Amino acid sequence: MTDVLICGAARTPFGRSEKSGREHAVAAVTAALADAGLPWSRVGAAFGGSDAAGLADTLVADLGLTGVPFVNVKNGCATGGSALVSAVNAIRGGMADVVLAVGFDKHPRGAFDPRPADWGLDDAYGRDGLMVTTQFFGMKIQRYAHDFGITPRTLALVAEKAYRNGSRTPEAWRRKEVSAAEILASGLVNDPLTRFMFCSPGEGAAALVLCSPSVPTRDAVTLRSAVVRTRRRGSFEVFSPVLEAGEPTSVSRDAAVAAFEAAGLGPSDVDVAQLQDTESGAEVMHLAECGFCEDGEQEKLIASGATEIGGTLPVNTDGGCIANGEPIGASGLRQVYEVVQQLRGRAGARQVPGEPRIGFTHVYGAPGVSACTVLAR
Amino acid sequence: MVPTGVTLPAEGTLWTWTVQRFAPKSPPFVPPADGFRPFALGYVELDGGPRVAAVLDVPGTVHIGMRLRVEATGGVPHARPAEEDS
Repeated sequence: MTDVLICGAARTPFGRSEKSGREHAVAAVTAALADAGLPWSRVGAAFGGSDAAGLADTLVADLGLTGVPFVNVKNGCATGGSALVSAVNAIRGGMADVVLAVGFDKHPRGAFDPRPADWGLDDAYGRDGLMVTTQFFGMKIQRYAHDFGITPRTLALVAEKAYRNGSRTPEAWRRKEVSAAEILASGLVNDPLTRFMFCSPGEGAAALVLCSPSVPTRDAVTLRSAVVRTRRRGSFEVFSPVLEAGEPTSVSRDAAVAAFEAAGLGPSDVDVAQLQDTESGAEVMHLAECGFCEDGEQEKLIASGATEIGGTLPVNTDGGCIANGEPIGASGLRQVYEVVQQLRGRAGARQVPGEPRIGFTHVYGAPGVSACTVLAR
Repeated sequence: MVPTGVTLPAEGTLWTWTVQRFAPKSPPFVPPADGFRPFALGYVELDGGPRVAAVLDVPGTVHIGMRLRVEATGGVPHARPAEEDS
């Protein structure tokens, strides 16, 4: 199969500002094209989207009316991943040799206001206070911690690392270090998770320019695989009035296995990883679901510093969702941007030492969707 | 998913739980007349059946594996300690 290269990558500062989601998107695309050294007119196909900040194809009004086919993607947390898979297929299918993938978003404070009817649920679930996404995260890690001995201290260490890495990332939202003790004392949201263990909805954009190997590039990274999966029967997801008994299936596990298989690589080959950390428990569980350790090993692994920037498997080197916030449409491509910068040796104060060669990214979201990539220098 | 019209056992064990510590956004949440109080919720694994989401009316400590009896309420199911466990 034809190799697909990422020859340009950019993101905007995440957080909250007066900017619109579209303004973030235009800034990210312009910077990614400059990074690639290619003009907008050279882009032969584009894919992108947001969850709550409008349609990506309207960006042509600002980028230039070149006639480019521009496909809108709206796929929840997998919006970036789905745009990326589409871009890969466009190159492999011969549609174009230079393709854009862009994700952007802007959410109001305390966002994500699900209505029971939109999820096929009785209004009682909203009335009685069960339409709250954070409850799911609390209940999933509560069971996992019970089964595999994960302590609140470990959950706090994950968030502490996120804020520390965020402090080294110029575009991160949360750039102040927070100690594990402060994180534990920040107040329970949904047991066992505290306030500072969660990411917040925010705003921002990320863009990637992809190309075929025939295009001259100056600092490209190979996208070895990009995979999107939806849940199988038996998975544990948000807003489920009933679950099947037995060991839950995992869409993250399915997507990670498929991504590694397509790349011809395995978790032990990975030098730097980005794992969905909607909250601390998610990073802990996704370490195992993506194949980086056995269930329960996280307790020692995290305490030993293995997932720190200088560790054996640096995870969420830019502070992840916890330090960057989660503009849904942008989040997945923000992860890929970070790994591209790490593999290029351009990650500045948060650079993983030892010239990392293989990277991995993973997003997970409602209602049971996951996107993974494997990247190589 | 469980097809409609199936009779489920009423008792089971608590599979997981959390506490809703803050008042959910209204609407859709309708707080009690005397104001919001944190409440426990979880999944009860019914004996030989599926796991059902329920509000937990449990005085004292909630713990995984505790025996609970689930009651339909017309709204979200509620669970309270089973007789032999209380």
